[in-house]
Amino acid sequence: MDDIYPTIREVGEDSILVEYEEEVSLEVNRKARQLAFGLEEGLFPGLEGVIVTYRSVMVYFDPFRVDADTIRGFIEEVNATLGEIELPSPRLFRIPTTYSPAYGPDLDRVAEHTGFTPDEVIQLFSSQVYPVYFLGFICSLAYLGGVPEGLRVPRLSTPRSFVPGGSVGFAAAQANILPVDSPSGFNYIGRTFVAVYDPKQFPPTLIRPGDYIQCPAVSEKEARLAGERHLGEFVESFQNP
Amino acid sequence: MKAFKILSAGVQTTIQDLGRHGLMKYGIPISGAMDQRSFVIANLLLRNLDNAAALETTFQGLKLQALNKVTMSIAGADLDPWLNDRPAPQWTAFTMEEGDVLQFKKRKKGLRAYVAVQGGFDVPEVLGSRSTYIRGRIGAPLGVGETLISRPFDPEAAEDVLTLPREYRPHLDRADPIRVLMGPQDDYFTPRGIDTFLNSTYRISPQCDRQAFRTEGPAIEIAKGPDIISDPIPLGAVQVTGDGRPVILLRDAQATGGYAKIAIVARVEMDFLGQMMPGDTIRFQRIDRQKALDLLYEETQRLNRIKDLLT
Repeated sequence: MDDIYPTIREVGEDSILVEYEEEVSLEVNRKARQLAFGLEEGLFPGLEGVIVTYRSVMVYFDPFRVDADTIRGFIEEVNATLGEIELPSPRLFRIPTTYSPAYGPDLDRVAEHTGFTPDEVIQLFSSQVYPVYFLGFICSLAYLGGVPEGLRVPRLSTPRSFVPGGSVGFAAAQANILPVDSPSGFNYIGRTFVAVYDPKQFPPTLIRPGDYIQCPAVSEKEARLAGERHLGEFVESFQNP
Repeated sequence: MKAFKILSAGVQTTIQDLGRHGLMKYGIPISGAMDQRSFVIANLLLRNLDNAAALETTFQGLKLQALNKVTMSIAGADLDPWLNDRPAPQWTAFTMEEGDVLQFKKRKKGLRAYVAVQGGFDVPEVLGSRSTYIRGRIGAPLGVGETLISRPFDPEAAEDVLTLPREYRPHLDRADPIRVLMGPQDDYFTPRGIDTFLNSTYRISPQCDRQAFRTEGPAIEIAKGPDIISDPIPLGAVQVTGDGRPVILLRDAQATGGYAKIAIVARVEMDFLGQMMPGDTIRFQRIDRQKALDLLYEETQRLNRIKDLLT
C-alpha cells in the first residue's frame, strides 16, 4: 500500500517526530500510543524519552551516543509490527464533580447555545465517558475527547485569565479538568476537589493516555469529601461500551 | 546550616538546579537554571556537585544577609553585587561573615546571576529536582524574611580559593545571530515567510519570562495554519502565533501546544538566550544538524576544560 504515514523527521539535535494521519481520532491516537509503548518497552540504547500527543510521537535520544538514523531504524522496526503491540488495559476514573451553579460560570451559556436546559447539560456531560488522548500542556493536563455532538460549544472568544484548578469543562469535542489555576478559553460547568495532579508523587498523575474519565454529578458536600481522598480511590477497570 | 536571610527578594529570585528531566510525558517542563553554564561554574568554584541547588536572581534588587560564615560564589549576569560597602567578587569563591550583607544593585550585563553556596541550598527534591516551577506549584519565588538553609559540606574539601580565569567567562553581550535548526513545521510558512524569519531583527517584548520570549518585528507569512494538531514542544522551539511573530519557548514552557514551529534554537545557544531581556534584539541564522552537534560538542569540551581547571 502506498501509505505516506507515519512520517518521520528529525527535530533539533536530539529528537525525531513521528506523525500518523493528520486527524484527531482514537484510531490514529492508538497508533501513536502503540509506537510509544513499543519504543519504551524495547529499551533501545541511547533512547531518552518518548512523548505521545494526538497523532504524534516525539522520540528523544542522546546524539552523542546514537545517531538519528539508528533511532529511525528503531522506530521503523517497532512500527512494522505496530498492530501486535498490546497496550496496558484502560481504566476508568470516576471523579466526583459538583455542578452547583457557583462552580459552573458557563453552564447557562452552554444551555442557551445548545438548546438544552442546564439540568440536561449536566446530565448529558456527566454521564459521558471521555477518552484520554495524552497528557501535556502543564501539570499533567489530560487531553480528553468525545464530548457529545449536541454539547459541542466553541471556545470563549476571549479566554479567561484565571480559572480555578479542578474546574471541569469543554470546548468543541475536547474536555478537561484543570489541574491547577490557569488561564483558559474552555466552557466550565463544574468543579472537582479531587487532586488530579500532585507533584509530590511520582508519577504526578495516575491518569495515563488510553484511560477514560467520567465526571459523575454529586452534591457540593460530597464533592468536597471526595476531595480529601486520593485519585487512586476513584479508579476501576474499564469495560468497553 | 542557616545561610541567609532575605532582606529584599529582587525582581524574581528562585532556587534552581539543572532541571527536571524525562517528565515531559507527564506534562512537566524541564525547568532548571536558564543559563546552565554559569550555574555549573558557580558550583564548580565551590567544589559542589554540578547540580547543587543555587539561587537564580533576575535583573536587580536581591539583598541577602549572612546568618553564619558562608563560603559562596556569584556567576552569570553582572548585576553589580556589593558586599557591605564594596563591590563583591564575581566568578570566584569568597566568604561572607555572619551579619554581612550582599546586595545586587543594578543590572549591568546579562539578566540572570547565580548565587551558589557551599553544599548547595537545602530545599526538598520534587520529582527528582530542586528547581522551582512556579506554575506547577513546585516551589515559589523567594520572599522577604525567608531563611535559606545550606546543605552540609566538608570544609576540608575547599581550602584554596577558586577563580575562573577571565578568558573562560562567557560573553553576555555577544551580537551574533542565534543559530537555529529549521523545522519541524517550517512547511507551514511561505518561502517569503522563511526569508523574513531569517533576515529580520526581532525585539524581545516585555512579555518575557522563564516560559517564553514573545517578540516584535516583521510578520512571518503563513502558508497554512499556524494552528496544528497539538504536539510536543521541544526546548527552544520557535513557534509562530497567528500574528506572524516568533515566540521562543524556554525551560518552563508548556510540554505540548498547537502552533506551528518554524525552527528549534540550537542547544548551544540556550544559555545565551537565558541572559537576554526585553528590548534586546535577536536575529536568527540557520545551521544544519551536524553543525549544531559540532557546536554542542565544542561547548561540552570547553566546560570540561573549566572543570579540569577548577579541580
